[in-house]
Amino acid sequence: MFYLTMFFQYISQYAKTRLQYRADLFVEFLSDLMSQAINLVFILVVFGHTKLLGGWSRDEIIFIYGFFLVPYAVFSAFFNIWNFNERYIVKGELDRILTRPIHSLFQIILEQIELESLLGAVTGITVMVYAGSRLGLEVTWYDPFLFFIFVIGGALVYGGIFVMLACISFWADARTSIMPMMYNISNYGRYPVNIYNKLIRFVLTWILPFAFVGVYPASFFLGKTEWYWYAFLTPLIGVVFFSLSIVLWNHGIKKYRGAGN
Amino acid sequence: MKLDKYIEMIRIRFLMMLAYRTNYYTGILIYSINIGAYYFLWTAIYAGKEEIQGLSVSQMTAYVAISWMARAFYFNNLDREMAMEIMEGKVAVELIRPYNYLGMKTMEGLGEGIFRLFLFSLPGLVIVYLIFPIHFTWDLSVWGLFALSILLSFFINTELNLLTGITTFFLYNNAGLIRAKRVIIDLFSGLLLPISFFPGWVQSIMKFLPFQGISYVPSMIFTKGFSHQEAWAAIGQQFIWVVILILPIQLLWYIAKKQLIIQGG
Amino acid sequence: MNAIEVKNLRKEFKAYSSRSGLKGAFRDLFTRNYKVVPAVNNISFSVSQGEMVGYIGENGAGKSTTIKMLTGILTPTSGDIRVNGMNPHKEREKFVRTIGVVFGQRSQLWWDIAVQESFRLLKKVYKVTDEQYDDHMQHVIKTLDIEPLLDKPVRKLSLGQRMRCELAAALIHNPPLLFLDEPTIGLDVLVKLKIREFLKEINQKYNTTILLTTHDLSDIEALCERVIMLDEGKVIYDGALHHLKENLADGKELHFQFLEQVDLPAVKKLTSGMPVKWDLDEKEQVFIANLENDDLLISQVIAIVVAAFKIKDIKINETSTEEIIRNIYEKGAVEVG
Repeated sequence: MFYLTMFFQYISQYAKTRLQYRADLFVEFLSDLMSQAINLVFILVVFGHTKLLGGWSRDEIIFIYGFFLVPYAVFSAFFNIWNFNERYIVKGELDRILTRPIHSLFQIILEQIELESLLGAVTGITVMVYAGSRLGLEVTWYDPFLFFIFVIGGALVYGGIFVMLACISFWADARTSIMPMMYNISNYGRYPVNIYNKLIRFVLTWILPFAFVGVYPASFFLGKTEWYWYAFLTPLIGVVFFSLSIVLWNHGIKKYRGAGN
Repeated sequence: MKLDKYIEMIRIRFLMMLAYRTNYYTGILIYSINIGAYYFLWTAIYAGKEEIQGLSVSQMTAYVAISWMARAFYFNNLDREMAMEIMEGKVAVELIRPYNYLGMKTMEGLGEGIFRLFLFSLPGLVIVYLIFPIHFTWDLSVWGLFALSILLSFFINTELNLLTGITTFFLYNNAGLIRAKRVIIDLFSGLLLPISFFPGWVQSIMKFLPFQGISYVPSMIFTKGFSHQEAWAAIGQQFIWVVILILPIQLLWYIAKKQLIIQGG
Repeated sequence: MNAIEVKNLRKEFKAYSSRSGLKGAFRDLFTRNYKVVPAVNNISFSVSQGEMVGYIGENGAGKSTTIKMLTGILTPTSGDIRVNGMNPHKEREKFVRTIGVVFGQRSQLWWDIAVQESFRLLKKVYKVTDEQYDDHMQHVIKTLDIEPLLDKPVRKLSLGQRMRCELAAALIHNPPLLFLDEPTIGLDVLVKLKIREFLKEINQKYNTTILLTTHDLSDIEALCERVIMLDEGKVIYDGALHHLKENLADGKELHFQFLEQVDLPAVKKLTSGMPVKWDLDEKEQVFIANLENDDLLISQVIAIVVAAFKIKDIKINETSTEEIIRNIYEKGAVEVG
């Protein structure tokens, strides 16, 4: 309950600061939209030269991309921890966090919240509706619920992986740029995993399970029965990875060395 | 010697990069996974076709591998670093120092690039070469042209980074702009897919923009997608862009410095 | 119950050393050299409720590391800590509700939002009720004179203004124990005085325990009866400040300024063989003779110096605390009864 109150307190503070710089907000929206558009362009250009990608049609791939955008937007809004190493470890702001009576990871997530990223979910749903209508997909009464669960699961997968990456900073003594590099890898979960070889498919399913943010859950809505099993695994994988990341975090925080004065 | 301090900067940056060993190990791994994933993606796209837009599957996979490896050389985060330094007011201090700030930044980027070229790209390329059926050319003249071309790639990309970095003086927060620039470069430089794959009208627009000089040109040279003559022409264009881009940088920098003096940082 | 209880506390850091040159850097990629360095080396002390204690030492003596362990930021390598009856790191979230922390070099407030918004947020963070807040904070705000600053964003404040707000922020939940790490660094005299006054007041009013680290010994002199002195991770003195002064400050300082150009060796030569230590304050061109409080010796030294050089000014002072502390560090230990 306390954590819920704090959540809204931080959000209201956040909104106040953000509204002070409306121009920035606008530029950010625009740049988000642009990067989403560019990914779509890639798909369109590729399908200008081929009909099927590993047995999946253009509209199916676009649908997967649309789905991917939703959990990704949730992740970006609440796990904006790209600069964790720089801001909290190197500059030592973790000191301040640790003198406050709220779980340290929760505080950092609250401080770094970026709600405007949620706009990506709107783009994502629009893309899904467009691709879905072209594919003639039918919506049943339970689809919205499953969609919600899959989105949360996907966002937790993402969050878990990136929190674990942030934890590296507790052990490694210098700055790392692993997170932006990892972003590239996360994109591969948007393509049908059956195009990859066993090793990469294994990595994307069990090690860095980005496939659970895109192709697996989306394949359920596309009616690809052979992938249903994986689709239903999405929330479980999300919970498992996120819990693991918190265990790792709680362990890592004990290794924090503090920034030198 | 006037150049000494710049060369020293390259060396320092090189040493700094060596100090981050976690970065180093994970970097090689991630680059390899990247190339691997793209290899399969492209094999799936070709789906048995002999060639698309004059490139065969094996040329295409070589293209993907080499463009990621070249990216390791030309890529840097100077825009973000500059934005950080400007926002924290460190640039005012840098301006007092007896060197050209932008020149120094470029040299830092070059040090980083050389580091990645020899310690990421070369070992990474060997790994990729052993794992995937990719064919590289052993024609030394191609390698020579390629070397010249990625050097120019580095300068074009760095100039664009400096340009975005300088805009921090005029915008309160240019994180959005920096992000937008990055995705644009990834797509229109030819990193994700060769420019020749785009529809004709896009290609003709691209001819008048500097982006394809960053990745498309060196990768095409390397995969022999360009003949010798085409290669020289493309390198010439790269060179022209390197020169042209100096203009807006100097102009914005001049205005920025003036503003800095008035506002006191 | 003691507010702070520390037994055999130890914190080790791994200090990596890089090999020199490019070749060395390559070797560092695979194996690296490191040494284990104890930043805090088996220290023990306790502080009772309501005490104001100065925690002093040179840079790198282990002050900050100790404070960070006491506040639950760092985990000790070994030893016991009980602060307010709790183990800071184990019960961190419960524990930090009972302490206030101010780091002089780092802001505790949110940079972009107005000071009162930060206060409001902290009020919620520490679950302070409206009555408690009004009752306590109105007084704090008035005493620290920060009323006019409340609606300004933190980034627009001057250092002195910010520090006063930081102090107020650390007291929102009226903690029984306050840690201040260099709270007066870089502040001008007036702000310093105001902060000292304020600290004394809350100490008296709420019996707040205060642990203070500072480079400015005048802070300690003004506030603390007790000092704990640290050197290379070890406690070298723990006791009353006046005790330290009485036992070690039984000397005098003679300040000379000359009309003519004089150098240090020349002055030293004059009193060679006598128990006098000379220093030179380069900026002011003041020559300082440190000697024992012996009337005869003092007059002898003055007589010799006056006879040799033309004098502009002479002063006789008690040895300053700073001088005492410097002497202690030079000797490396304190021998007081």
